[in-house]
Amino acid sequence: MELKDKVDILAAAAKYDVSCSSSGSSRMGEKGGLGNAHPAGICHSWSDDGRCISLLKILLTNQCIYDCKYCVNRASNDTPRVMLTPDELSSLTINFYRRNYIEGLFLSSGVVKSPDYTMERMIEAVKKLRQEYRFHGYIHLKAIPGCDRRLLVEAGMLVDRMSVNIEMPTGESLKLLAPQKKKEALIGPMRFIKDRIAEERDSYKTLRNTPKFIPAGQTTQMIVGASPENDLRILTLSEGLYRSFRMKRVYYSAFMPVVSHPMLPAVDKPPLLREHRLYQADWLLRFYGFSTGELLDPDHPNLDFLVDPKSDWAVRNYHLFPVEINTVDYEMLLRIPGIGVKSAEKIVQARRVRTLDDDNLKKIGVVWKRARHFITCQGRFYGDSFRQEDQLKQELMPYHTAKKLRTDGGEQLSFFHEILPQSDLQNLFLVKAGEI
Amino acid sequence: MLSYLFDGTFEGLLTCIHEAYYRHETPDHIIWGDQLQENLLTCCAQIPTDNGKADKVLHSIRAKISADALEHAFHAYLSEINDIGVWIYRYLRLGWKVGPSVDRYLCEDEVSAVHEAGRKVEWESHKMLGLIRFRELEGGIFYAPIGPDHNIVSLVAPHFAERLSDQTWMIHDVKRDIAAVYNKTDWTIAVIRQKKALPLHGDELEFQRLWKQYFKSIAIRSRRNPGLQRQYMPSRYWRYLVEKN
Repeated sequence: MELKDKVDILAAAAKYDVSCSSSGSSRMGEKGGLGNAHPAGICHSWSDDGRCISLLKILLTNQCIYDCKYCVNRASNDTPRVMLTPDELSSLTINFYRRNYIEGLFLSSGVVKSPDYTMERMIEAVKKLRQEYRFHGYIHLKAIPGCDRRLLVEAGMLVDRMSVNIEMPTGESLKLLAPQKKKEALIGPMRFIKDRIAEERDSYKTLRNTPKFIPAGQTTQMIVGASPENDLRILTLSEGLYRSFRMKRVYYSAFMPVVSHPMLPAVDKPPLLREHRLYQADWLLRFYGFSTGELLDPDHPNLDFLVDPKSDWAVRNYHLFPVEINTVDYEMLLRIPGIGVKSAEKIVQARRVRTLDDDNLKKIGVVWKRARHFITCQGRFYGDSFRQEDQLKQELMPYHTAKKLRTDGGEQLSFFHEILPQSDLQNLFLVKAGEI
Repeated sequence: MLSYLFDGTFEGLLTCIHEAYYRHETPDHIIWGDQLQENLLTCCAQIPTDNGKADKVLHSIRAKISADALEHAFHAYLSEINDIGVWIYRYLRLGWKVGPSVDRYLCEDEVSAVHEAGRKVEWESHKMLGLIRFRELEGGIFYAPIGPDHNIVSLVAPHFAERLSDQTWMIHDVKRDIAAVYNKTDWTIAVIRQKKALPLHGDELEFQRLWKQYFKSIAIRSRRNPGLQRQYMPSRYWRYLVEKN
């Protein structure tokens, strides 16, 4: 078989893995060697689905002994099976890298023979790149659940980032859809990696030049929409993963109906809008100082489809507003709809040298249309007054959604969800689900 | 109307700033070569570049304003946006008045104009770190043609000198006829007027084919979103992208 066909099969089989970021590592190059890592990461291209291509994301093989219901590579699927040799993989990586197509390698694999055997083959390939080709670019390695700890340690010294996919938001869903994968086999390596990173970090204090163990940390991914968990459940899990496992990222992947199975929900389109809202909420947890409990609660367990989670929070907490832009602290600035991290920082800078008015804010880049309902400038309020929550909410929606609602449903805003089925809403939004 | 005309170098611009400051003039335009549109009402003063004066201005920016301000001014200059010269002059005037805190005056026109231009340059040069595509030529030189909006070759060259330190390469700004050239030890900027297609290395097309295959296979068809693709990767950059041709 030609290399081109192998690339086709193994890239197509790897494409459902969401993670592509190449950030978090500052691995240095070496004179006469090839490559280094860029701490902020670099995107090299964007594929036709709008997702960024940063790493050569590919499987070592698509053979697999497991039969997870949602996966294209499951054993019972009738599809051609191929495997890359370490030399083919090295040649692809090096030659793509020299032409600046990619930032490095993201190597994953189906499970052949046993987890240990598979992990050993992956390590062999990565070792060849690092040692024989003296490649210092970014490498993200997928850890095979159930492999020996010794192999995790060996791999961790070679790569920049490692990830274990948690796959499903709960153990029950996992048991149902991926019966051969045990929750403990997924959580175990995550905990091990976290502890090991912490341990190594301590030893840097005394030993300067030790090679680093997974310098860019670990990430994970879960499939959304294949199992019945609500957003509250999912975000609570993410929050826990960030807090107790020091995850760099949790990725969400809208369930793709790649296979039909009686145990899987019948969907004609992946729930992209839900995935998008989860990412927005995830950002609020990591960069905006929100907690899951503020965004969702048992009476309100799912993210709103019509407005973004921050606007939704602001509508429900309208009693906290308006705030005075010249005195309010940074934490609260971040919570105003229409103000992001960048404009909040600019406001903090600019108000040290002058008192800000409405024109100043527009110049700084605040989205005035949204922010004006929540702020005062030197005591003056520029917003409208609202009799009902829904009126304010409509004001914060993307233009097209609000317009569609007005023509379809008049002023009966409380019937939103009956008027517009979710798939309709999905078409209304320009879903910005690309990865960073 | 008063216009200053300089040779297009950063030193030339700094000389103009020196002259304007000491002549107590505020020129309406500070322009070079192709930006000049002869106009009967325009009074043009040719400012010859003087490295001594440029140096003085440079040191004074560092000492009296800040290193950040110098970087903002330099990046804004690379944007080659119309009239940016005058904005840079006004920005520095404000800087000499208020000192290092000049970058907090975000509501002043001159500060936002310079920051905005600098931001565009930084955005494009970061984009280019990913979008530059090298082709291996006969003889083993890696050649990358680009056509950026702003003059960013000198900003991206250090990144590649570090990363691809064991290969000879050239990044050719086809719009401006300049190139960053690296010989496995140092990089320099050279004037290049190469228009003909260069002969490729024997293996080159094979790797281009593999890359195009990868690009196609990695996309998820049920999530097709060309608008999003163009938003991140504007179509004006597609001309030199292997995967888009």
